[in-house]
Amino acid sequence: MKVLPGDQATVSASAEEDFQSAEVWDKVSGKTVYGIDLRLPGMLAGKILRSPHAHARIKSIDITGALKLPGVRAVLTGADMKQKPYGIVVKDELPLAVDTVRYIGDEVAAVAAVDEETARRAVEAIRVEYEPLAAVYDPEEALQAGAPQLHGDFPGNLAWERLLERGDVAKGFAEADVVVEETFTTRAINHAYLEPISCIASVDSYQGLTLYTALQSPHIVRNLLAETLDLPPSRVRIVGPAMGGGFGGRVFGNLKVYLLSALLAMRTGAPVKIRLTREEEFIAGRPMVPVIFKVKMGVRRDGTITARESDILVDNGAYSAQGPWVAKTISERNDSLYRIPHIRTRVRLAYTNKVPTGQLRAYGNQTANYAYETLLDMAARKLGMDPLELRLKNCVGPGDITVHGLEIKSCNLAQCFKTAAAAVGWDQKKPGRGYGISGAIHANGSVVAHKDFRGAAAVVRLEEDGKFTIFTGEQDYGQGTHAVFAQIAARVLNVSPQDITVCSKDTAVIPYSQGAFAMRQTTIGGHAVRLAAEDLKQKMAGLAAELLGAEAELSGGVFRTPDGAELPLPEIAYHWRCRHNGLAMTGEGNYNPPGSAYDSTGYGNIAVTYSFAAHAAEVEVDPQTGALTIHKIVAVHDSGKIINYTASLGQVFGGVTQGLGYSCFEGYLFDGGQVLNPNFATYQLPTALDVPPIEPLFIDSEDPEGPFGAKGLGEIVQVPLLGALSCAVADAIGAPVTSLPMTAEKIYWAAAGKECLE
Amino acid sequence: MSYRIARDLEDALQLLREGRGAARIIAGGTDLFLQELPEALVDLTGSPETRGICAEEEMLNVGACVTHAEAAASPLLQEGATALAEACGQVGSPQVRHAGTLGGNVVNAAPAADAAVGLVAMGARAVIVDTAGSRRQEAVENLYAHYNRSRVDSSREILLHFTMRKHGPGEGSAFKRFASRKSLSLPMFSVAAVVRLEQGLLQEVRLVAAPVKPAPTRLPQVEQRLQGLPASAETWRLAGDLVREAVAVRGSALRCTAEYRRHLAGVLAERALQEAARRAAGLKAGESK
Repeated sequence: MKVLPGDQATVSASAEEDFQSAEVWDKVSGKTVYGIDLRLPGMLAGKILRSPHAHARIKSIDITGALKLPGVRAVLTGADMKQKPYGIVVKDELPLAVDTVRYIGDEVAAVAAVDEETARRAVEAIRVEYEPLAAVYDPEEALQAGAPQLHGDFPGNLAWERLLERGDVAKGFAEADVVVEETFTTRAINHAYLEPISCIASVDSYQGLTLYTALQSPHIVRNLLAETLDLPPSRVRIVGPAMGGGFGGRVFGNLKVYLLSALLAMRTGAPVKIRLTREEEFIAGRPMVPVIFKVKMGVRRDGTITARESDILVDNGAYSAQGPWVAKTISERNDSLYRIPHIRTRVRLAYTNKVPTGQLRAYGNQTANYAYETLLDMAARKLGMDPLELRLKNCVGPGDITVHGLEIKSCNLAQCFKTAAAAVGWDQKKPGRGYGISGAIHANGSVVAHKDFRGAAAVVRLEEDGKFTIFTGEQDYGQGTHAVFAQIAARVLNVSPQDITVCSKDTAVIPYSQGAFAMRQTTIGGHAVRLAAEDLKQKMAGLAAELLGAEAELSGGVFRTPDGAELPLPEIAYHWRCRHNGLAMTGEGNYNPPGSAYDSTGYGNIAVTYSFAAHAAEVEVDPQTGALTIHKIVAVHDSGKIINYTASLGQVFGGVTQGLGYSCFEGYLFDGGQVLNPNFATYQLPTALDVPPIEPLFIDSEDPEGPFGAKGLGEIVQVPLLGALSCAVADAIGAPVTSLPMTAEKIYWAAAGKECLE
Repeated sequence: MSYRIARDLEDALQLLREGRGAARIIAGGTDLFLQELPEALVDLTGSPETRGICAEEEMLNVGACVTHAEAAASPLLQEGATALAEACGQVGSPQVRHAGTLGGNVVNAAPAADAAVGLVAMGARAVIVDTAGSRRQEAVENLYAHYNRSRVDSSREILLHFTMRKHGPGEGSAFKRFASRKSLSLPMFSVAAVVRLEQGLLQEVRLVAAPVKPAPTRLPQVEQRLQGLPASAETWRLAGDLVREAVAVRGSALRCTAEYRRHLAGVLAERALQEAARRAAGLKAGESK
């Protein structure tokens, strides 16, 4: 089978398209060494003392009991902190609390000892006197006058806000025949990667720092740590072991863990390993932000969307992490999925005394998808219009410049909708079942986050034996990036992908890179690999022509002239190496995406290109209990030319399953500031039995920017699912479920026309 | 810490005696390993007296160390104690069902343990021996001291096996539970029903619900009200309403509200009774008279 353009989407895999890198086989056969497995000789164990209070002043800390314990090597407290506040977007954190704790789990002290048990006992032996302060847990209450204040620099607990206006919403609503509005809420979501974050920090005699920890963006984190620790970036090296799952949670990982292991290593001179427990991952990680959407939309009788107005309140937790960036994506990306002329969106990010938040795979685009796609179906119901028709009437297409200035290049969104509808049986709906469909647009890389540094670089080296090594800063932690890069280089160099090794995990060696987020790996990193391979091929061809005395073609690792003279690659490598006294022949590539005239209102193109998708769901609800049976999920994707089918299928199955968890199972539960479900027994991920049949389909497009026409897939796989499931449930019971997760109980009450008494 | 595998019942009793109250029986460990372990454990699962399922005339004997997986797959139980086999098939996950045992399920004393609900519905009695050599029998529902605390003192007592009357002609049973996911999830509510039909009328009903109290809870006032009524949709609806009135339930932030749990109790009772009656009438799932 072969993937066909247009409506006849299928799934196929030739041998090359199915290539898997060695690390995949290592993982499935249990050979992989993860960060949590690593040990260094003389290593100490680090443990963190955390606040039991949601908000309190630290009156005193007594560490004498801890220091007296045999085997304790160092105890750090806020008094030792010479660091300036740091932060990813907003500088509102310190490695350890100095005088105030702001959530249950806030880092108060750190211990290094000869083993974990001693470190744990030392943490228990630290005496802290707190003066509890009034705390605030609800973002709406946090913004009200008189609410307890978290940060002096952010009066009113407002961490960030934005008012985004395009066109004239009043005019838009005046033109509407039908107006729908609703409030939707979502919970904090944990990444639930299997390997909790772990880091070994080691210092050399000149205070050079090496961290052994797996990150999606090692260079960005390296620079942030260097700045906070006041070290030159070149003296900080991050070496990545294999990563046991990222899902956006390891773009920045847990900066506290890296800083505290580094500070303990600097204090003791010995390597220090801190590994978080699962409970720490829950109470002091950086889960996806909870959101309250108040949304309103106007539509004309013919289905044309005229205006949309949103008031979005994002619960930041106690510190900002990536909060402002996530809030921005949540509040604007979905606007570019349909042609909406008039938009007004207020988004606010509020501090509360709860676990600080961050982002999950897809950066909140999936969260907004739930709210906006459910609202769209409410409009369809009110209009008496087919939800599919309403979407096809408004969806963006190739060549569009969207309401926020996004420049749409390759785009098969309409075909994605039609294909998903056909595959789910939209025209032959079964009685008693609910059907939902939802679309998505997702950015590939950012050309505006750092306007002067938009692209990526790669180096390809010809080895002595005629094989190749790719050096890249782009990270593979299960997506198949390394296989894709090997395939891209292999296509240029006309060799097998198995002849190519990818080296990506040591900041001392790899090209500087933004790392793995925003679906930039294949599109941007892969483009750089293609350019590097082309550069190397040209160099090899030049030397081959010189040595053979004629132009030669490369095939199967051998250059051949038209009259049959041959020169295999190891000989090219040998001649070059001798001539250059040991230097290997390398090709360099750097891909520089087109710039953007992005303006101060946030108008302008933001990404290299955009991927599209539509998911459709067929569900059934037990009217007596609200129990949801999902009969089928169809996931149709326009990710340009698919380079690796097996890895792509893995992304779809994994992303849809994770989205299913977000939609129907998962979410933090709080009692005040206390997380009630900080473990896998009570934070319920879907089990294998809960995963419905998933049908992935790809509709090829030929993207002008991605390598060989490819676009990103890793994040968008989760985006439309939330809307599709919500719309299908609403279709089945005749009313939307207005908060996630859509549990049986909530579905039951929504069907009964009652509010859920959560 | 010591971990000793008893050869047989006498060996297990001897090991407990030697432990002088510090040693505890382990029979599967799927719950015990989540708690702080005692200094000495005596593994009972190798003792032949605690293994096996057998029928003696109208009685069924089920060893305390029969695993949930064994019970769920047992034709004797599927036929003669259907609700019990069904309940055992829904415990935890495949791994838990292959390691955890019925005796462990009862002595762990969790208020919504599936196997215990099935046992109580079957009217099962536990045979218990102690280190002094005495032997007694107790109804399973009487083994609960409090939430998660058994009256069986596993530092000096051993639950040997369960004994119950198997379904006779005109009898059938069913177990229904409702949970947030299909595996590895404690139930929001569960109900087991055993009925005996004569000429389409309910001659005998045993209805057990959990979690209501520390032990799986018989609902005698509902049972009595149903006696003599026809096996009909109307009766099942009535039963659902009666169960909603009869059970005292609590809400839980982790699982569901009390209101929803009460609603589920009625739905599950209706469904369990209907299924049990269908089986009593000799019909398979999906068939109706």
